[in-house]
Amino acid sequence: MGALIFYLLAALTIGSALIVALSRNIVYSAFSLLGTFMGVAGLYALLAADFVAVIQILVYVGGILVLIIFAVMLTHRIDDVAVSNRSVGRLPAALIVGAVGVIMSVGVVGARWAQKADVQAAPTTYGIGDAFLGPYILPFEFASVVLLVVLIGAVVVSRKEIREETGS
Amino acid sequence: MITLPPVNWLSLLPSLILTVAGILVLFWDLWMKEEERPLLAWLGLTGLVLTGVVSFGLLGRNESAFNGMLALDSYALFFNLIFCLAAGMTVLMSIDYLETTDIRPGEYYALILFATVGMVLMAAATDLIVIFLGLETMSMAVYVLAGIWRQRLQSNEAALKYFLLGAFASGFFLYGVALVYGATGSVQLGKVAAYVSEYGSSPLLLIGVALLIVGFGFKVAAAPFHVWAPDVYEGAPTTVTAFMAVGVKAAAFAAFARVFLHTLGPIHAQWQGILWILAALTMTVGNVTALVQTNIKRMLAYSSIAHAGYLLVAMVAGQDLGGAALMYYLVAYGLMNLGAFAVVLAVGRKGEPNEEFSDYAGLGFRYPALGMAMTLFMLSLTGVPPLVGFIGKFYIFSAAVKAGYVWLAVIGVLNSAVSAYYYIRVVVNMYMYEGEKVPEFLSARPALATAIILAAVGTVLMGVFPSASIALARASFLSLG
Repeated sequence: MGALIFYLLAALTIGSALIVALSRNIVYSAFSLLGTFMGVAGLYALLAADFVAVIQILVYVGGILVLIIFAVMLTHRIDDVAVSNRSVGRLPAALIVGAVGVIMSVGVVGARWAQKADVQAAPTTYGIGDAFLGPYILPFEFASVVLLVVLIGAVVVSRKEIREETGS
Repeated sequence: MITLPPVNWLSLLPSLILTVAGILVLFWDLWMKEEERPLLAWLGLTGLVLTGVVSFGLLGRNESAFNGMLALDSYALFFNLIFCLAAGMTVLMSIDYLETTDIRPGEYYALILFATVGMVLMAAATDLIVIFLGLETMSMAVYVLAGIWRQRLQSNEAALKYFLLGAFASGFFLYGVALVYGATGSVQLGKVAAYVSEYGSSPLLLIGVALLIVGFGFKVAAAPFHVWAPDVYEGAPTTVTAFMAVGVKAAAFAAFARVFLHTLGPIHAQWQGILWILAALTMTVGNVTALVQTNIKRMLAYSSIAHAGYLLVAMVAGQDLGGAALMYYLVAYGLMNLGAFAVVLAVGRKGEPNEEFSDYAGLGFRYPALGMAMTLFMLSLTGVPPLVGFIGKFYIFSAAVKAGYVWLAVIGVLNSAVSAYYYIRVVVNMYMYEGEKVPEFLSARPALATAIILAAVGTVLMGVFPSASIALARASFLSLG
């Protein structure tokens, strides 16, 4: 049963990802991302990582995907964009992607995975919260410094230039 | 009931001082009158000097904090000194420079301080997640700094290029972290090291390691991940370029060397070959392309790529000698490169950057002190004894020879010979041609003059009396255990 669900979710993820990469219409590509993100969220849920699954939906579907679709919809005549660089064809791309795929597969198959005997599907939120304020407090707190820097940066980059004192 | 783990505040002290200084700069900026703004530089400088002094005072300690995520060892503290040197000199150089631009000092100094926080964390982190957070803090701040001169199109271009490619490189790095976690079951360097020394490598681990090399290679501007460097270095405000060339590179090498020379030391046979090729390629590409440059910032950009190559030679050599040579050379490179950028700033003036080689014509006679200083930095970058650049290269190449990488050392020495051509060309321009460019007098820019004097004194003194600093670099590297 678990295996069947796994393969269904994997098919959903990979199928949508193929549409994202190969579709000629960028709107289809943007919407197909939904399938990929949901499929990955399903895989997380299947692995008993409930918190990560919900965060995946909140952040990727609720945030990033909506942002991408906004960008696609609001861009003027996005379908008419002339692709200027057609020198890199599909064949070299397929070869490179295939080679990377083979290398990754070798790595995954040959890995000495740490295995857990029986994983019970229990809520993980408590443990994650505990870990954030316990052993992982440094990265958790330091993330706020990263956010502070990003906020200052966003203000600097997007601020309207005030030009009262510029003489030059 | 949540019980907080014991916090080792001492290990956080350097980054705490810098963070507080950065926040103070931001707040003070709010209440300040327009003409008082330059004072912010002195506040930032105070924070940096204090951090440097504290780091120096803590040297010799060897503690682990936050569940093995952060180390307080001489290795990290030594790198703190390099970061404080780079950031402090950058602030000194910026005081007069900002007047000639429309960059607002408040955010500028705050971002420099926050970037330094990221660097300090990268050097001290013993956990891949924390390294990544430090890397991102530093990178985000520097992306914005590259584009902070908003009126200048090249500056915007530099920021955009750096951001897009940098975000991509961060993705590679993070993927590498994920695969290393998958292969070893931990992101803590101590546990990864224990796993590696027990089980050796596996294909998955090696793919992760390769991705980490891509991420670090981008940040140190090693070929073939260097293509962003010339445009970004040329487009960014010159002070930011100096900060990137020295500070960012040193921080990336700090984490790079800790992860590879120490944690992944047991499987060095697997990654040394890759780094060998990267080192040879980086040196050659950097030096050969620098030959044809006519803009001095672009030339210095390619020169910094070439120097990343020399530093990679030290990484390949590895062990105590290579590690110590790497740390010593980063100090040497920092001093002479910051000095060179300070002279570039001194030659420029408002609305007239004077960054072409021809702008340096005749400079040596009209401004003997400035000409002398530039000659000194160029000779040191070439590696002429008895300056610091020579000592640094000597240690790197002898470490490589002792570790059995004779050919790599030969490539490095040949590259140094090639580099003489473009470094000496600046000197030739200054002394053999007539020119009429008139830079602003340095006496009107005391902070910049101080920066040039400090760099020049360091370049000479560390070259003539290298033993103390080499001993310190060696002891610091050995603190990795």
